[in-house]
Amino acid sequence: MIKTWHFVLVIIIAGVLSLFYKGLWGDPRAIPTVLIGTQAPIVSGPEVRTGEMISTGRFQGKVILINFWASWCLECRTEHENLLALNRRFGSNPDFVMLGINYQDREEDARQYLQVNGSNFDHVRDLKGMISIDYGVYGVPETFVIDQKGVIRYKYVGPLVGQAYSYLTESVLQPLLERRPFPSS
Amino acid sequence: MKKNTIIAIFPLILLAAVPLSQSMAATVQEERIDLQMRDIAKTLRCTICQNESIWESQAELAHQMREIIKERLIKGESPDQIRAYFLNRYGDYILLAPQKSGLNWLLWAGPFVLLAGGGLFLYRTLARWVVQAAEEKQEAPPPIDEHLRKRIEAELHSRED
Repeated sequence: MIKTWHFVLVIIIAGVLSLFYKGLWGDPRAIPTVLIGTQAPIVSGPEVRTGEMISTGRFQGKVILINFWASWCLECRTEHENLLALNRRFGSNPDFVMLGINYQDREEDARQYLQVNGSNFDHVRDLKGMISIDYGVYGVPETFVIDQKGVIRYKYVGPLVGQAYSYLTESVLQPLLERRPFPSS
Repeated sequence: MKKNTIIAIFPLILLAAVPLSQSMAATVQEERIDLQMRDIAKTLRCTICQNESIWESQAELAHQMREIIKERLIKGESPDQIRAYFLNRYGDYILLAPQKSGLNWLLWAGPFVLLAGGGLFLYRTLARWVVQAAEEKQEAPPPIDEHLRKRIEAELHSRED
C-alpha cells in the first residue's frame, strides 16, 4: 500500500526533475527583461562624429529607437544595413527618431566603423558605460523602442535580421507610430 | 625670546596641520568608500562573465559598474539603494545570491527540505530493515523437510555402520 508520504516524495522528486528538465532547454545566458513598461532613462552624451552633445530629453513625445553597438562587434555588422533601411523607412516621420549608442569602444574605431559602413542617424558615445548600465545592457547588439510617453515598450537582444527585423518594423514601430494597440512582447 | 618664537611659529604649525588633517580625513573616507564598494561589488554578478562577481571580474563592464557604485556611494546612497539600482536594470540575475522573498524561498529552503526528507526516508528504511532482521533472528528455524530428514538419518546410519 502506498503511504501518503511516499506519494508526497514522488511529487517532490517529479517537481525537481521537471525544473531540471526545463533548465536544460533554457538559454543560460538569457536575462529576463525588467525594463519593459518602465520609464526610459535619459540618454545624453557626445555624438561620435561631431562631438555635439545629444540628449533624448529633446525627443519627448517621439518614438525613439535606441541601438547599442560597437565596432568590434561582428553581429552589429550583420544588422547595420537593416538599421540604415529602418531609418530610411521611418526617418521621414516627424514622430520617429533613431539613436545609436556606441558601447565600450575606442572613439577612433567607432568613427572609422561609421565612415566605412555609413550612417544616416546620430550615435552617442557611452563614455563611462553609464548609458549601457542604465539600460541593463550586457552585450551588443541590443535594441530598445521607447514610446511617445517615454516608456520602454520593446527590447531585442541580438542582430535585427530576418524575422526580428520584420517583427520590429511591422509589429512594433508601425503600430506605435500609428498609435495602434501594441502587442505584448 | 624663545617663548616669543614659539608663539610666533604656533599659527604656522596650525596652518600646516589643517591641510594635513584634511588629507588624512579624505584618505580615511576614500578607504571607507572602497571597502563599501568592495562589499557591494561582491554581491553583484558580472553579467558578461560566467559566475563571477563584478569585484572579481576584469571585464570593462565590471570595472564601469564598480565606478558607478563608487560614485553613488560618494553621493551618499546606501548599499541597499545601490543594489536596488542594479536590480531595477538587470533583474534578479544581477544578484549572486537570490533575494529571500516570494518563490525564491524555494531556492533557499529547497536543499534543506530535500535533505531532511531524504534523511527521514533513509532513517525509516534503515529502521525497518533493522526490525525485520531482529524479527528474523528471533523466529524458530523452519521445519526440515520430511524427505531431507529421512535422507540425513539414512546417511548418518550408513556412517555408523
